[in-house]
Amino acid sequence: MLTALILADSRFPGGGHVHSGGLEEAAARGLVVDEPSLESFLHGRLLTAGLLAAGFAAAAARGEDLDLLDAELDARTPSPAQREASRAQGRGMLRAARRAWPSARLAALPRDPHQPLVIGVLTGEPYEAALTCAYLAVSGPASAAVRLLGLDPFGVNAIVAALPVEDVAARACKELPALGSPALDLLAEAHVRREGVRLFGS
Amino acid sequence: MVSLDSHGNSVVRVLRSQAPLTLVPARRVGPVALVHLVSSVTSPLGGDSLELTVEVGPGASLDLRGVAATLMLPGPTGLPSSSSVRFSVEGSVRYLPEPTVVTGRACHTAVVEAELDGHAELLLREVLVLGRVGETSGSLSTSVRATRCGKPVLHQQLVVGDAAVDSSPAGLAGKRVVGTSLMLDAVARESDGGEWWNVVPLAAGGSLATALGDDVVTVTRVLDAI
Repeated sequence: MLTALILADSRFPGGGHVHSGGLEEAAARGLVVDEPSLESFLHGRLLTAGLLAAGFAAAAARGEDLDLLDAELDARTPSPAQREASRAQGRGMLRAARRAWPSARLAALPRDPHQPLVIGVLTGEPYEAALTCAYLAVSGPASAAVRLLGLDPFGVNAIVAALPVEDVAARACKELPALGSPALDLLAEAHVRREGVRLFGS
Repeated sequence: MVSLDSHGNSVVRVLRSQAPLTLVPARRVGPVALVHLVSSVTSPLGGDSLELTVEVGPGASLDLRGVAATLMLPGPTGLPSSSSVRFSVEGSVRYLPEPTVVTGRACHTAVVEAELDGHAELLLREVLVLGRVGETSGSLSTSVRATRCGKPVLHQQLVVGDAAVDSSPAGLAGKRVVGTSLMLDAVARESDGGEWWNVVPLAAGGSLATALGDDVVTVTRVLDAI
């Protein structure tokens, strides 16, 4: 359980803070401007990309074949920008984890692994893995919203606390989801194409 | 079932169908066989279960086209409806149904599965309309899974009918029409896009084009231009 807490901590040195999960592009387009629109964004993200990632974290925690999971997650992530963001966060998490929690299964991860697989291997327990992953799918964009839009941190925290993160984690343990999110994919690719100053990598 | 004859023509060898989904082959001889999908009774209604299996042999080509938009409707019993289309491709298939409209109380599950061999090609077009004008969409779950030589190329599920997700900028952004075009072929396409559309290269080869919009004409035009 401590591992899950450390991974979900925003102070964990895994490089997650440079990713906004599409929030920066959504804010730049005026799709997210205040607390209600942020709540809508986070809810949609949790039930699509969050559920997908959590399902793969749970499967990795159950001990399923990591190379097969890697290929299946690639097939469920059509956007190259999303694949790169997931692998960049996996790489960052793995770098810190090799020092903290070295293991044979950690060494068996594919090169530049998707982040959910790293979370699954590190926690080793499906529900904890899914919960960590589902939480990270919304906590990163939520804190990005505070920085980008100057929203009230107490209000944003209340939104995150009210999201059905536990329900999504429980669902993610039952099946390997394949949920897509067309709008998130479009935002992720547009973010890469956008010229000018960007605060976040995704 | 379509295969190549000794003159290089694609020939429909086996064709079996029944209402509500009737297959109508075009009378022509050539390298590409053409079959139309005709909805011969109003369908799918709640309770309907539709299945279609397509096999295309080495070197053969098939165009499978719709003739009219599909209206998903609820049935008298409240039961859900389902459809499943399975492709086994060693040649080339273009599957181009007309748009599907998910009406208010519809409840439908649609599954498309395609298994390709090393050189097979597949074009798969899907345009979904969430509700008729002024109508909230019913519930629909679609799943597309394509594999090449047993390895996954694309697996995407789309669930519509949950208003909180449909309206989310991280869901369908409140757009009424969702179009996708899966292109599993040898053409290399760079990532490209505009505000509400893009085309992206998949990790295991092939490309996916996606367009969101408020009407079918706009979305279809975007997909046609790619």
